[in-house]
Parts: sequence; C-alpha cells; structure tokens
Amino acid sequence: MNDYIVELKNIQKKFENVFVLKDVNFGIRDRETVSICGTSGAGKTTLINIMGLLEFPTHGNIFWEDQNVIICNAKRLSQMRAKIFGYIFQRCNLIPELNVIENILFPKRITSKISMPDLELAKELLQRVRLGGFENRNVWTLSGGESQRVAVVRAMINRPRIVIADEPTGSLDEKSAHITMDMIINLCREYDSSLLLITHNQLFAKKMQTSYILNNSELKPFDYAKSEQ
Amino acid sequence: MNWCLYLALKQLFPTGKRFSFFSIMSIIGVALGVMVLFVVQSVMNGFQHEIRQTIIATQGEARVNANNGVLYNADSLGNFLKNQSEVAALARYAYGIGMLEYNNRSIFPIIKGIDFENEIKIVELQKFIKKGNLQNFDNRSIILSSELASQIGATVGSSVEIYSPMMLKALQTNEIILPRTLKVVATYETGYRQADENVAMVMLDTVQDLYGLEEGVHGISLKLKPDVRPEKFAFELNKNLTYPIHAASWQEINKDLLFVLKTEKTMMFFILVFILLVAAFSITSSMTISVIRKTREIGLINALGGTIRQCEACFMIQGLIIGIAGSVIGIAVGALILKFRNDIISVFVKLCGIEDFMLKFYSFANMPATYQLGDIFTLVTFAVVICCLAGVLPARKIAKIKPADALRNE
Repeated sequence: MNDYIVELKNIQKKFENVFVLKDVNFGIRDRETVSICGTSGAGKTTLINIMGLLEFPTHGNIFWEDQNVIICNAKRLSQMRAKIFGYIFQRCNLIPELNVIENILFPKRITSKISMPDLELAKELLQRVRLGGFENRNVWTLSGGESQRVAVVRAMINRPRIVIADEPTGSLDEKSAHITMDMIINLCREYDSSLLLITHNQLFAKKMQTSYILNNSELKPFDYAKSEQ
Repeated sequence: MNWCLYLALKQLFPTGKRFSFFSIMSIIGVALGVMVLFVVQSVMNGFQHEIRQTIIATQGEARVNANNGVLYNADSLGNFLKNQSEVAALARYAYGIGMLEYNNRSIFPIIKGIDFENEIKIVELQKFIKKGNLQNFDNRSIILSSELASQIGATVGSSVEIYSPMMLKALQTNEIILPRTLKVVATYETGYRQADENVAMVMLDTVQDLYGLEEGVHGISLKLKPDVRPEKFAFELNKNLTYPIHAASWQEINKDLLFVLKTEKTMMFFILVFILLVAAFSITSSMTISVIRKTREIGLINALGGTIRQCEACFMIQGLIIGIAGSVIGIAVGALILKFRNDIISVFVKLCGIEDFMLKFYSFANMPATYQLGDIFTLVTFAVVICCLAGVLPARKIAKIKPADALRNE
C-alpha cells in the first residue's frame, strides 16, 4: 500500500511503433507538488494526458485511490476528470463566447448547478489573482497574463484534488510567468490540491517538493539540490 | 440549465456581442424559407377556399341525376329528397348545348334551365349579377355571363336568338321551327371560369321546350343543412336510390379540379422546400467549419468533465435552436406579409405598371389567404427536423475527435 491519490503502473505508450513512454511508474500524493521536466517531444504531455484520464496507455494501469480506472467507461472517466483534476494549459483555452466569470464557472456548470457560494468563490479567486472587477469582461479583451490567470481560477473552481499544469507560463513574459506561477502554487497550497507541473523552467521546477525528468521515454527522479552541488 | 443547452445558446448568442454573424445568417436563411413556404401555402389555401366556396355557391352542395340521362319522375324524387332531414332546399335543372346569335355573331354555350324560385334558395344568384336585375327574369328572358355577352356584343336589353338541336331534327321532316327570341335581363360573373365562360341561364320550361324534354329534367341541385357533410350524405343517399339515379357531392362532381388544386399545393411545397434545404446546407457548412475551429475547445470541455456525446449534443442543439428561431420568425413575418398582402400587391402592381393586367387575369382586388394550423405544424416540424439534421454531420465529426489529440491541435 502507498499513499498515492493517482498512480501509474508500468505505463507504456507507443505511437506508430515508437515508444514515447517505457515502463513508467509514477504517482502523486495528497497536497504534493511535483514537477516533470524534459526536452520537447519527450512525452511529457502524453504522460499527463494519461494521468489526467484523457488518453489511455498502450500498456499498464492507472489507479485512483487503489481503483483501476482503465476499466471505467467514458462517462465515469468524465465524472472523475471533473471531480479530481483541474487543468491549466500553456494556451489558456478560454471559451471566447463566454465572459470571464462564465468561463470560470463553466467546469462547475458541467458537474452541477451554479449556486451563490460558487459565484462568491469565483469572485474571491479573481480577487486573489488580482483580477477583481474583471467578472464581466470579454475574454478577448484580456492580455496573455490575465487570460492565464483566469484559466488558473477556472482550474481551481471545483477545488480539485490535483491541478495539472502543462507549461502554464510557456507563453508569458518572465515577470508575468513568475506572478502566475506563484499564484498557482499558493492557490494549490490554500485549497489542499496537489500540483503536477510540466515545465522547462528550472526555477519553477525547484519550487516543487518532488522533481522528475523524462528522458529517452523513461521517467526518473531528479534532485536539483544534488545536481547543483 | 443543462450545460450543453447553455453552451449552444452562448455559441449562437455570445456574451458581449449583440449577435453572432453565423447565427443571424442561419436564422434568417431558415426564416426566409419558412416565410416563403407559409405565405405561398396560405395563398394557395385561400385560392382553394375561394374556388370551393364558388363551386358550392354556383352548383349547390350535392346533385341527384340519372347518370346524365333525363329524369322523368322528378316530382316524386323531389318529394323523396325533401323528406330527407339533411336537405335544406332543392331545385330542378336541365341543360343542353345551343346556338346563341346576336347581330350575326354566334356562340355555342350551355343553356341551363333553372327552377328560378327554388334555385335562388340554393345559389345566391343576386350576388353574381353585374348588370341588370333578376326581377324581370321570366320564360322570355335570358341571363348571360359577362364573358358570353361580350363575345357576341350583347348588353342588358338586347334580344338574342337561341337555336336548339331540335330544330335540325325538325328539318329532316321538312318542318321549320323558328328560333326562340329572348331578352337579356342581366349579366353575371361568378369568378368560376367554367360557369363564366360558357353558361347562359333561362327558365326551366324554356329548356324543356327547346329540347323536347316535356316534364323531364337532368337533375336536382341540393342545398344541405349546416354541418352536414356532402360526401357522407351522398354516400348514404345512394343506398336508397336505384340505378341510374345517383347522388353526387360537389367534391365528387369536381374531383378532377380538386385533385389539381391539391397537387398544385403539394408540388409548390416540394419546390419551395429547396429554399430550406439550401439554408440547411449552409448551416452544416458553417457548423463544420466551427467544429474544426473549436477542436481545442472540444478537447478542453472533455478535460473539464464533458463527454464527446455531450459536445455532439451541443451542436445538434444549435441546429434545433436555429430551426425553432427561424420557424418562429418566418411564421411571424409571413403572417405580417399576409395581413398586408393587398397593400403590398397594390404597391407592386403600380410600380410594375401591370394593374390592369393583374385585375383582368387574376381578379387580385383582394388576394385570398387562409392559414391552416396543420400546414403551420407540418412546416415548422419540417424546418426544425432539417435544421437538426444539419447539425448531425458536424456532430459526427466531433465523435471522431480524441480529447488528447484535440488539446494538441493548433
């Protein structure tokens, strides 16, 4: 027995006979912050897609609190995705037809009805990411940094167990990237969410409790402190 | 509100924009199709209604005849028919082709002999009189349709001569029968081409005399009490009549014409439905482009907990909303056009300078139009179904999308 919330066991993934992931064993604990680094095309996004139940491995199993989710049907997987995970992508992926508050509340709308406390929480989160008063702004009027902060709030609205952030600062300038990253880390800490961060930025990776590096289709633990010595 | 419906509504009517170009164009396309179909069908219904009313007004609701032969026992048959609870009035009639001459101009109309006193209880003759009056109508006078009168140049007060086929028969025995001279007391116009083009009316005994029918008639016209269905009445009556005597409803007598009218309406529907199909194709094309453009968004919705099936439903709902909105607007605008149809037509004919032409050939002083709830229901259902189907193709495209691939999509 281990204390992982989600655990990947012996994961292999092939695209047209090319191994992207080979025998990956990996898990994330409650409130743990984890970073995965690797070169472009190493398979980082594939790995988090498998962990986020968006993609199935060619071989191996995914456990959610000791339950094998590989055997679950599409509807059950969708329910689990909505309840367990909050996603932040490199491109913020806001829905252009909805305004800021509607975008933030959209994950809530998928899982249940919107209630007054949800609205309050959304407003409070917006305040936290310094976007108070932006509720009714159209998303196409926001800057890149502002859009990404809206995406961060959207990821937190369902109080997810795990926040999966796939290069969330990749398209931001350095200053905005630091602000956004600090906000993600602080919100995860405050809402007791685990954080799985995919990044090329070693500074951000060092801020995580656990770090991995994905190289040659294999995932290995990486200790930044040791490597600096 | 279900999130699929919510997102479908938002994609059609986005927050922060007055309207989405795609939505407005799609809805207008459907609305135009529905409007044109609704207006055309209502006008066709109106014409059909007018023609039916004119047929009933000129022929009565049912007729009893002897398989186009002569009825010599018309009085006893008349008494039998009078005793039928459904019959409100009846009138005997006889007819034959004759030659009508005035000022050396001849025509060959049907000379219809009417039992005037009873005929006016069935047919509102007075309503159709254009010139002259019926008060002077007797067995020395004749009523001509305006068309016939203009063909021979006769007017009210003119004396016309009638030659019957009996006169040719008499010639074979070296006997000469002089033509009957009758005075034109009135001219009429029913709006029913068959009656207006070729029928002249005289008293029944004049026809009986001209054609040697003695007391015989060709049939009895019937007016039925309100709420009696002519077809059912004729069917039931025939059970008590012996061959060759036969009762026929006005629908049976005019079945060819009614069939043509019904076919015309159906054909018009099928031709105009292509407007809706074109609108549906444009909706499919726009939605398919939208699906391609929103592939990442579909992946995102999937990551947030929505299923691919729900994303499909979202696009189908968009088709449904376009169909419903287009139908409602189409019917509303159509109703408005029908309400002001006569004003619109008068402006149109004045602008085109075809006022006289229209009045001469179409009698468009007042264009008839009748709404039928059944037609509206069929039309709206058809439009909504077509629009839903327009959303199916893009939705099927979504079904092929893999969420992870969608998120990688650039």
